Amino acid sequence: MNNRLLDRFTYAERLVHWAVGVSFVILLLTGFAFSYPSLFWITTLAGGGGAARLLHPWVGVVFSIGMVFMLAFWIRDMFLDREDWRWLGSVLDYAARRHDKVPPAGKYNAGQKAFYWLQGVLAIVFVVTGVLLWIPGWSSAAVLSFSRLFHYASALAGGLLLVVHVYLGTVAYPGTARGMIDGKVTRSWAAFHHPRWYEDQSGS
Amino acid sequence: MADTLTIKRMSATPNSLIPLDALRSNAPVYSKLVDISRCIGCKGCEVACKEWNDLKVEPTKNFGSYQSHQDLTSNTWLLMRFNEIEVDGNLQWLIKKDACLHCEDPGCLFACPAPGAIVQYTNGIVDFNQDNCIGCQYCVTGCPFDIPRYDTSTRTVSKCNMCIDRVDAGLEPACVKTCPTNAIAWGTKDDMLALADSKVDTLRTRGYDKASVYNPAGVGGTHMMYVVPHGDRLDDYQLPSDPTASPLPMTSLGFLKRLGAYLFGFSIVGTLAHLLAFGQERPDDEDKESRARP
Repeated sequence: MNNRLLDRFTYAERLVHWAVGVSFVILLLTGFAFSYPSLFWITTLAGGGGAARLLHPWVGVVFSIGMVFMLAFWIRDMFLDREDWRWLGSVLDYAARRHDKVPPAGKYNAGQKAFYWLQGVLAIVFVVTGVLLWIPGWSSAAVLSFSRLFHYASALAGGLLLVVHVYLGTVAYPGTARGMIDGKVTRSWAAFHHPRWYEDQSGS
Repeated sequence: MADTLTIKRMSATPNSLIPLDALRSNAPVYSKLVDISRCIGCKGCEVACKEWNDLKVEPTKNFGSYQSHQDLTSNTWLLMRFNEIEVDGNLQWLIKKDACLHCEDPGCLFACPAPGAIVQYTNGIVDFNQDNCIGCQYCVTGCPFDIPRYDTSTRTVSKCNMCIDRVDAGLEPACVKTCPTNAIAWGTKDDMLALADSKVDTLRTRGYDKASVYNPAGVGGTHMMYVVPHGDRLDDYQLPSDPTASPLPMTSLGFLKRLGAYLFGFSIVGTLAHLLAFGQERPDDEDKESRARP
């Protein structure tokens, strides 16, 4: 019984997570190429500058659709309760691994919930400005120059969050990424990282 | 001929990568001067532009104006806009020669993310190189005069190139050559500024008190200037009164990009430093460790 794994993410959840993840990385790389002349060579990987410009918004469509499903799948579990606010207050203890000072987390800890809401808001800005830039004829030069500013700002913020997300999900906490690959996590992983969720799972 | 086509600026290219020829260049700096008061609205310049640059003829229709076409396109680089305006009770054509003004500080070039797609020469010409264009149309957004036009079939942007091939051969642009009233003059920028001043003086003696030269400072001056008879009516001529090559969102974007590059680097270094300080969290191994202890 002790060796049995816990189911953490369904096939559909993993599918949309990776649709969003892979498309966002492609968007970041091609976006970097358009933002930094010294990185323009990245467009070669997409088949040249013109091809990268064609590809970028369509990858954005995949990102947008995936994002809608991902936000819808998880929204029920993402509202912060009283414990979560206490968790946010001790986020530095969490970062410094003083686990005895961090309130126990449910299925998602408050950091993950904050990540969800931040990425959701950034995605809306990202997609709306992206659509405006895709078809410049729909708006004016003033709108488009602000769109460029906010498109970059949301991509930058989302990219920085992505670095932290990948770091925590892979090297910092081994066993976490598995939940997004075959959907399962070990009991000891769950008991350590998400004690309140672990108790619910064990109880049923 | 002197070196007329020395590169001064290139889109998405740091100035340090541009050959130093520009510093040594003694190429003349050219400008067109359009004296609107002398234009008779014959549209000969439009025809000459189409012919010299081998631009496709585009059918048009009557839309209630003497103007030939309703807008610039990727095949129509020059359009005489017939603004019908009532001045002192009389209907007047406040004609504007709508084409690239070849800004000294080109907003299109600053906005362009494709290296070498927009090139500015020391002689003042700003030219698009469609081979390097990626079709993003940021130049359209960056232009304060709404000049570049996107072609959906070639997925590139085009505009007036000041007949760069003629200028390189020591000739004036085709529109200048053909103008029957010498409303379009051609020469060095200094000569054209002096000519513009004398034309304004003449207009003022003829009762055009508000006559002025259009050479806006917000874009560093232009290499197509206008002598505007009614200088207080720039809006009626469809000439922006205060165009800028670097609007606030674009300068903010430039700053943010620089900051963003540092932040990305810092985020990678920061996570690595965190890893080295705190290591990996392996709750799975706890059992093994405790079993290993005596």
